Amino acid sequence: MSKPTANWEKVGDKFYRKVQLYTAVFDQDLELGNYNVVGAPYSGAVAIYRDEDKVYTYRGNQAAKSSIDIYSCAGKLIRRINWDKGTIRALGWSEDEKLLVVTEDGTVRCYYGLQGDFVPFSLGHGAEEHGVQSCRFYSSGFVALLGNNHLISVSSYAEPRPKLLAVPPSDPVHSWAIIPPAYSLSRSVEVILAIGVTLYVVDATEAEDRNFSAGPFKHISVSPRGEFLAFYTEDGKVWVVSGDWSDKLSEYDSKVKTVPKDMQWCGSNAVALAWEDEVHLIGPRSVATKFYYDAWVHLLPDVDGLRLLTNDVCEYLQKVPDETVEVFRLGSESPAANLLEASSLLEQKSPKADDLIQLIRPSLGEAVDTCIKAAAHEFNIHWQKSLLKAASFGKSVLDLYSSDDFVDICDTLRVLNAVRFYEIGLPMSYEQYRRLTPEKLIERLTNRNEYLLALRIASYLHLPSSHIHEHWAQQKVRVSTDSEEEICALIVKKLHGKPGISFEEIARAANDEGRVRLATELLNYEPRAGKQVPLLLAMKEDTIALDKAIESGDTDLIFHVLLHLRKKLPLASFFRVINSRPVATALVESSALDQDRGLLKDLYYQDDRRLEGSNLLLTEALSQASLAPALDKLKLASKYLQDSRDAPSTFHRQALDETAKLLRLQEQFEKDLSPRDPAAAVGTSSFPGFLGLSANETIFQLLRQGHHKRAQKIQSEFKIPEKTYAWLRLRALVSARHWIELEELAKHKKSPIGWEPFFNEILAAGNTRVASIFIPKCTALGVAERVEMWTKCGLLVKAGEEAFKAKDRALLEDIRGKASGSATVEVERLLGMLPQKR
Amino acid sequence: MAPIAPFNAAEISEKARRDLLLLLEGIRGKKNLVLEKGLAGSLNLLVKFSTLQEYGVDKPFFLENDNVDTSQRNVVFLARGEKAKTVMAVADQIKRLRRDSQIEHEFSIIWVPRRTMVSDQLLEEAGVLGEASVTEWPLFFVPLADDVFSLELDDAMSDLYLRKDPTSIYLSAKALMAQQQKHGLFPRIIGKGDNGKRLADLLVRMRTEVAAGESSDNSGPSFLGLTPSSTVDSLIIIDREVDFPTMLLTQLTYEGLIDEVFNITANQTEVDSSVVGGAPPQPGQTGSASSSMKRKVLIDPGDALYSTLRDSNFAVVGNLLNKAARRLQSSTERNQLAAKSTAELREFVAKLPGYQAEQASLKLHTSLAEEIIKFTRTDIFTRSLEVQQNIMSGADPTTQHDTISELIARDIPLPTILRLLCLESTTNAGMRHKDLETFKRAILQAYGPQHLLTLASLEKMNLLQPRGGVGLGTTPAAKPGSVTNYTPLRKSLRLWDDEVNEADPNDISYTFSGYAPLSVRLVQSLIQKHTLANLVKPSANPQAPAQANPLAQGLRLFDDAAKYVRGATFDERQAGAEKAGKARSTLAGSGHDKGKTTVVFYLGGVTRAEIAALRFVGGRLREGEGEGAGGRVVVCATGVVGGEGLVGCAVEGGRFKG
Repeated sequence: MSKPTANWEKVGDKFYRKVQLYTAVFDQDLELGNYNVVGAPYSGAVAIYRDEDKVYTYRGNQAAKSSIDIYSCAGKLIRRINWDKGTIRALGWSEDEKLLVVTEDGTVRCYYGLQGDFVPFSLGHGAEEHGVQSCRFYSSGFVALLGNNHLISVSSYAEPRPKLLAVPPSDPVHSWAIIPPAYSLSRSVEVILAIGVTLYVVDATEAEDRNFSAGPFKHISVSPRGEFLAFYTEDGKVWVVSGDWSDKLSEYDSKVKTVPKDMQWCGSNAVALAWEDEVHLIGPRSVATKFYYDAWVHLLPDVDGLRLLTNDVCEYLQKVPDETVEVFRLGSESPAANLLEASSLLEQKSPKADDLIQLIRPSLGEAVDTCIKAAAHEFNIHWQKSLLKAASFGKSVLDLYSSDDFVDICDTLRVLNAVRFYEIGLPMSYEQYRRLTPEKLIERLTNRNEYLLALRIASYLHLPSSHIHEHWAQQKVRVSTDSEEEICALIVKKLHGKPGISFEEIARAANDEGRVRLATELLNYEPRAGKQVPLLLAMKEDTIALDKAIESGDTDLIFHVLLHLRKKLPLASFFRVINSRPVATALVESSALDQDRGLLKDLYYQDDRRLEGSNLLLTEALSQASLAPALDKLKLASKYLQDSRDAPSTFHRQALDETAKLLRLQEQFEKDLSPRDPAAAVGTSSFPGFLGLSANETIFQLLRQGHHKRAQKIQSEFKIPEKTYAWLRLRALVSARHWIELEELAKHKKSPIGWEPFFNEILAAGNTRVASIFIPKCTALGVAERVEMWTKCGLLVKAGEEAFKAKDRALLEDIRGKASGSATVEVERLLGMLPQKR
Repeated sequence: MAPIAPFNAAEISEKARRDLLLLLEGIRGKKNLVLEKGLAGSLNLLVKFSTLQEYGVDKPFFLENDNVDTSQRNVVFLARGEKAKTVMAVADQIKRLRRDSQIEHEFSIIWVPRRTMVSDQLLEEAGVLGEASVTEWPLFFVPLADDVFSLELDDAMSDLYLRKDPTSIYLSAKALMAQQQKHGLFPRIIGKGDNGKRLADLLVRMRTEVAAGESSDNSGPSFLGLTPSSTVDSLIIIDREVDFPTMLLTQLTYEGLIDEVFNITANQTEVDSSVVGGAPPQPGQTGSASSSMKRKVLIDPGDALYSTLRDSNFAVVGNLLNKAARRLQSSTERNQLAAKSTAELREFVAKLPGYQAEQASLKLHTSLAEEIIKFTRTDIFTRSLEVQQNIMSGADPTTQHDTISELIARDIPLPTILRLLCLESTTNAGMRHKDLETFKRAILQAYGPQHLLTLASLEKMNLLQPRGGVGLGTTPAAKPGSVTNYTPLRKSLRLWDDEVNEADPNDISYTFSGYAPLSVRLVQSLIQKHTLANLVKPSANPQAPAQANPLAQGLRLFDDAAKYVRGATFDERQAGAEKAGKARSTLAGSGHDKGKTTVVFYLGGVTRAEIAALRFVGGRLREGEGEGAGGRVVVCATGVVGGEGLVGCAVEGGRFKG
């Protein structure tokens, strides 16, 4: 076994290693130099397409057909997308392995799931006229640069909303880069543009000139986490600046005349410059190392390193992880290195093993940890084993050690080694695996149709496997040539009863494929009613969709279906559909009340709901701005009910007719008593209208203004009870302060409401004198109450007399307590006249 | 591992707040916020305006006012997306801004609590979907106090009972489901009412759906979430329809009366500044302008003084205030005099801000109480209360008709009259046909013909209806389960308590000075069986252990009562996989029955008096021994409402114009 350090290179005081992942990657005939190559993050798929700017040899018809080819890192062709849709300006990947293809006219096609299906959207914002120049991608979005230097940002592919960023100057752009929103200070995407000799930083609101003068900058590269920026100047220098622009960290002179074709970060520590067959790796403090190739080389940056791709070989360049350095560095004296040594000695049955263990005893735990971590970072299976063995040996010596990490890493390494296998071609580093998460890894495997491996890994890691099953079923539905019954039976047999399976998605795939019957069949197995609705609508099973929506209880869904039906069906059949479903009817009614009165009217008519129809007309009458149309509507409302003979309708109709009568009377009064007549304005500063008042209020107003005749007319017309009328008269007179009339009333023998209200109302209005007139009339009340009434009026003497009359000594004494001045004397006198009790 | 208490107020509000701020943070730069009026209260409870400003909110606007200006490039709409009307309002404003404004705006719409398909569809039809970035803010429960959670669905009542629109049932189910996923299934769902049944069915259905779709979302927590919770005892669902009368009555607790007089929305009430003193004087404000100004007062459940007052019967509030005033005075004064050593002095000074806050609170509540006393002294208040008390105690309702007629003639506010009439109708299974017609006519004459619509709406809500079908001359015996029969209930649940003690309450009847709210009695019949059984039928031998009362066996009390109450009765047990359940209870530790939470959900809204009554029940449980000892009662509802609101959703606002 070759030494683990064989592929290490020292750059400054740090080690870098170049791990050979796969050999014989591409066909030797493929002139990689003529292709653009982009790799998906986390060691994902590689997409290549012919660079149209470069000449190529004519190879007959077959090769002239252009296509985008998606390969695994090991060079296995995953999919070929034939391309005849215009000039490709940029190709990029999202974090979840969606391939984005941007054409010159601003159309973006988003190919998902490594399949040939895509969702298109357009950039807009003038992309069509000015043309897309290039794009820069990040995990969940991208920025496009147009011919007129406008920048368009798309931040989500699920719901793309292309947004125009602030407009930079329109001078030619030498190079540009973006800082992804996750790592920028402003939490939104920022663009760095090299224009002229300076740099501009552009975000949604402003384009700021950073006032550099060392340009023009030929390349700009942002480190994976945005903490450093690298610039390549025209005179061959590489500058590294911190992400907040505060420090210039290093400057490296490449002393090369030709501008490199690419500059990328390798992790966050080093910058790689690539020429056609030469790569320079520049570490901190401006030290560099150089790699030479015998073929065209492409750089595919990743979060923690860089993939180098040539026809022959796919290599991974990364900074050697600290733990690995600790274990393997030549002459390392670290406990971990000793532990590894000890374990190999043990294998040779050498007693020295124990000596070594005793030597590192105090830091053995740490050594075990280091070995485990180093194993995780190791690509070579031999060394993974050695390190894990060492760790296992070490922990057997320790008394107490939690093996969780050890077990975890063993699991992980099994998974990693499986997916690194050349037929799968996902050469992930441990770090990438951690960031991608196992769930996403399974998704990637599923998209590559590696179902068996995906299922194995899912069960090995105790992860849900429903998506894998679904994907399989969808694929089955799409490509299988079996009869529909067989497909359905097969799918149901395999998937029924497994938790989390969305039969809806499978059915949708079937429906998209045109297998409607299969789709219907499959949909029956979907337990979630709500989920079935959109597909059912798409399959034109409208009434079933409505029933399922109602079943789900989600009003939004019901509404959705109803809106759909309303648009599609003629009114009569629409009503027929909703008629038998009360919830649907209620929803239609409730929304139509706000939105569409006409519909409601038709609905009530259709259903023969006369009362409600008439009420609707009444509502309309109320919303009329003037009287005449309101009266018309009222008439209609009443007419609506004329055929109904039941009691509520009769009452209703009567009420409506009375309303019309009242309104007409009110109109008449307004005409008669308008302010031209000075008599009407007595006591009121402005003339109050009558229209819109209730019958009682009308009487109240009339009485207030002294129109007793008219008030009585209303009373008799509308059969207003005598009591009510009496109350109204009392309140109207009090509010108009017609005291004399009130005193007149006091001369009446009887009042329908008794006399007490008179006292209370007048007292509340503050007139004690008039109020007191009514006290003697309240004969129904007891003495104590009457005394209280007198007292309230401040007439203590009267109160005293009342109490005296009743010969109530206690009351009288009470009154004395309240009295003052001359009243005291009087009360005293009365007290004296009362015979002493006891 | 201590189990996390379910329905934790701080946790729920913190999450809602974080969610919103995260959404706002996602929109770069300054922005104008356009929000639906119904959300203002909840927003105010959760986030301070200054915090919103920190997150770039420049000016707030109300969606209903349609007045958002073009001062900022970013315009954020915050609205409920369930109703087509709101969606269209948003769409119209976006269109208006786009038409009128010189600059290009960035529109964002945050739908509460979820983005709906309908909203997408309507926005698309209006041609604005492409212009706006649409997100959702999953705001469900808003904690109003530690034990009160409201969905703050203002339309819930009119939707459910007038328009029969079940949106709020679905949203309630969603909200409860979210809690279940976090804290485990409610081991038992029991309750009363047709809509309540629908809610329970939805919960069961959602559970199977979640189980089916389980692993498609992140599987971790929900896996554990779908076993019965060991911290929640049961979910009791009460459909408002079951107990309209309680809502129609005038609430007599302090908080209830504040609500009746000033109206509380989202713990805030608007009081005339002449009552509570003006807001801190602001420069440039003339004295005359502020004289009729309304001032917003926060009714803070955290305020120590208020928390002692809020659930007391108003009759004793005066005393409590008095006591508090005296205590405060003595503690400040004596300390001042006696403060000899510097250490004591320092201690006193440290307490000073607390005293000041208490003083302020005391001042506020004293003036509020004075205002309420003014209200309760009015003739109208006493007369209507008298009618209510008579009806509830079982007097023949026709004896009250004269008073009601008189009140109509005196033109007192319509809602008060409607409450009385509806009360009579709902407690007596409808009104006699002739009486009903007389009153209808009286109302139309007194308050205007437009109320023909009001009356129709009330009938639709089953609040005001003729007895037993339309004058067919049949016996008033309506279909069983369609109306509540109060006569047997008064006895079997002891709804009327003559020996009510307001100062030192021993039963929930104190909240209405005699009437014990039916809904709370139903809850009691489930969680406080023995107490209730002893109350209804005191055992002959006072020494006999409380458990001996035969009435308290099983579900008898509840079942007996439920027979006479309208609406469906339901009782679901939710058992999960047995093993998981066991594992969970082992995890939760030994406290099997101790300290379990009972969740009472009021579909359609809860009144403040009922909250007070439930707190009383909860308090007894906490202190008590035996059944459900140490338990906690949490009140959830679609909203906190009062009788005004109930009849208010029927009242027609328009009138004829000349």
